[in-house]
Amino acid sequence: MIVTAQETRKLALPALAFALLVGAGVALVGYVDSKLALAERGLAAAKAHRVEASEKLMRIADEEREVKEKLAIYHRLQQLHIIGPEQRLEWADAMSRIKTNRELLDLRYRIDRQTLLVSVPGKPANVDFYASTMKVDIALLHEGDLLHFLDDLRNSGYAYYAVRRCKIARTGQASTGTSIAPRLRASCDIDLITILDRAAKT
Amino acid sequence: MSVKHLLYFTATEHYAYRWSRRALALEARFAADDAGAAGFRTYLQAKRHALFYVVADVAGEDFHEDQIPYLRGGDRQAVIDRRLAQRYRDTRLAAALSLGYVTGERRNERLLLTSFTNTQQFTPWLDALAESGAKLAGVYSAPLVAPALAARLGARRGRAFVITANRAGLRQCFVEDGKLRFARLERIADMAPEDLAAFVRSETMRLAQYLTTLRALPRDGPPVRVLVVAPAGQKAAFERILVSDARYAFRTFDLEEAVRATKAGRAPEDSLAERMYLDLIVRRTPKHQFARREDRRSYLLWQLQRGIVLAGAAALAACALYAGTQWIDVLSTRGKTASEHRKANLAAERYRRITATFPVTQTTTDNLKATVVEFRKIADGTAWPEPALVRLSKVLDAFPRIELESLIWRVGPAGGRDAGASRPAAASGLLAGKEREELEIEGRVATTQLSDYRTITAEVQRFSQALSDNGSPYRVASMQLPFDITSQGTLTGDIGSTVRAEAPRFTIVLSRPLK
Repeated sequence: MIVTAQETRKLALPALAFALLVGAGVALVGYVDSKLALAERGLAAAKAHRVEASEKLMRIADEEREVKEKLAIYHRLQQLHIIGPEQRLEWADAMSRIKTNRELLDLRYRIDRQTLLVSVPGKPANVDFYASTMKVDIALLHEGDLLHFLDDLRNSGYAYYAVRRCKIARTGQASTGTSIAPRLRASCDIDLITILDRAAKT
Repeated sequence: MSVKHLLYFTATEHYAYRWSRRALALEARFAADDAGAAGFRTYLQAKRHALFYVVADVAGEDFHEDQIPYLRGGDRQAVIDRRLAQRYRDTRLAAALSLGYVTGERRNERLLLTSFTNTQQFTPWLDALAESGAKLAGVYSAPLVAPALAARLGARRGRAFVITANRAGLRQCFVEDGKLRFARLERIADMAPEDLAAFVRSETMRLAQYLTTLRALPRDGPPVRVLVVAPAGQKAAFERILVSDARYAFRTFDLEEAVRATKAGRAPEDSLAERMYLDLIVRRTPKHQFARREDRRSYLLWQLQRGIVLAGAAALAACALYAGTQWIDVLSTRGKTASEHRKANLAAERYRRITATFPVTQTTTDNLKATVVEFRKIADGTAWPEPALVRLSKVLDAFPRIELESLIWRVGPAGGRDAGASRPAAASGLLAGKEREELEIEGRVATTQLSDYRTITAEVQRFSQALSDNGSPYRVASMQLPFDITSQGTLTGDIGSTVRAEAPRFTIVLSRPLK
């Protein structure tokens, strides 16, 4: 059947209806497909969350052991005041105390400004590790003075002391008999590391 | 469309019915003359764009069986048109009904060509329809739905006569295996039921004799089923007259009984058996009809319009069906998601209950772990100078001639022996891993024979060997001897000089990797 122009015009409205109906159908399918994709993504995320929670639950015995073990270290760090803000006055007191107790001839030090060593992600807040570099010059009668100084420093607390460098050299001075002259001179770079745990209860 | 119109066309009068909600309502009746046609035109003025079925129930139908070669599509239609043109002078109302195929040397199709001997009687009425803008669905005849009527009265297969008393007269149709083979209409006057039944019997015998003559009905075959629809209330009288014998197996239906069997809707009270034909034509429209395509153009266009919209609706329905199944998946997935969330929450709750029994900490578990793990990393990357100095002290006891000038102990990246300038902790590689502890020893060999290169060199080499031997964690990273004995260096000497020179110096670097 050959359709005339007049008849073609009569087909325009049904054709429009056809397009609208098909368009509505396609839109409906698209909408539902998008909802399905969204739901599937949600399911995948929920599964991952459930698996993570289940595995965490299964590992709880190990975790308890781990927590106990780490807690001992954490408590030790707290006792040594390594966790907490810097206590520069305590450091200065410790240096004076060591010089007096060990009868060191000369002890000079300089502590640089604090720098952020690393910030570790935690929950609910990060754990920040700070370091302040201390340069020490000590006049020594013998090398044992340096070893005692380092040992006393380590036990004084208020930071974790990481010795980066120590140089020991002869002074070339000879003892006179009336006064005690240092035979050695040591210069050391020591990082004073403190930890700031923002979730820690004070 | 729920409203349809039928023009029941008889030789004397034409009836305009309205079919809606399965009910026939008589709207008008017209005499079969010019005045009637004029009245029909007036009637049609209120029926613009209405859908019309013309149902002819007239005498003078022609039935002719023919065969054409097995063809399809346009070729078949062309052959049929040619056969109809050869058979009938006026082909405006003609039809070809397929009766099946003949298998032999050549496969042919059997056709029943049919038309009206007087097609002119329809012309004014069809023209009126065309002029009014009404849609002509087709021109049908009562016999075209006789196979459907026979099937509803119980004769789906085999040969059967279907005989009904219509307004137009006594309609007789011969149906074979669900196909119309022949039909005739005999006018009837007002008769008593017994007379009408006798008339039916005699006309049945005449029809059978005619068909036997045409060899359409075998002479010695089983009895032919004769389905007779008697006018309302006349079944008993018919059954008394129409008694089955060896040639005919009569089965008589009351009109109401036949109407129920055909599930026809309501109809005017004075309707006769034609109501069943009219109802079947609307509800089970036959595939074949008599009108030409040109006369049905507005109807075909309307069908095309409706088809386009229906196709759109079907597409929407298919999309909706697909979307429905997808939505079920969405609901199922959401259900699974909720179940997963519940399980995760249960596990988390159990985890919380168990961890509540853990030792009390001053921080969160996560921060506790982060603090200790990171602190261990830092501690593993650091060292103290005591072990190296103790090791050196022990070795020196065995080498009294070695005198130390200076010591540099340091921790840093491998090969990072710089001048000893202080570096920030973060930049020093404290966290970078692969750190090394190094001890740089500078000294000299105390001897009176400063020109005894061999002895001095051997002493330094033994000293460095001792530092790294016997399970020492330290290895000699580099060594600078008092005298350059390599081929690339310059070796100098002052043998026999009386001037006391300073003892030549050496440098040894010990190294060990940290964790």
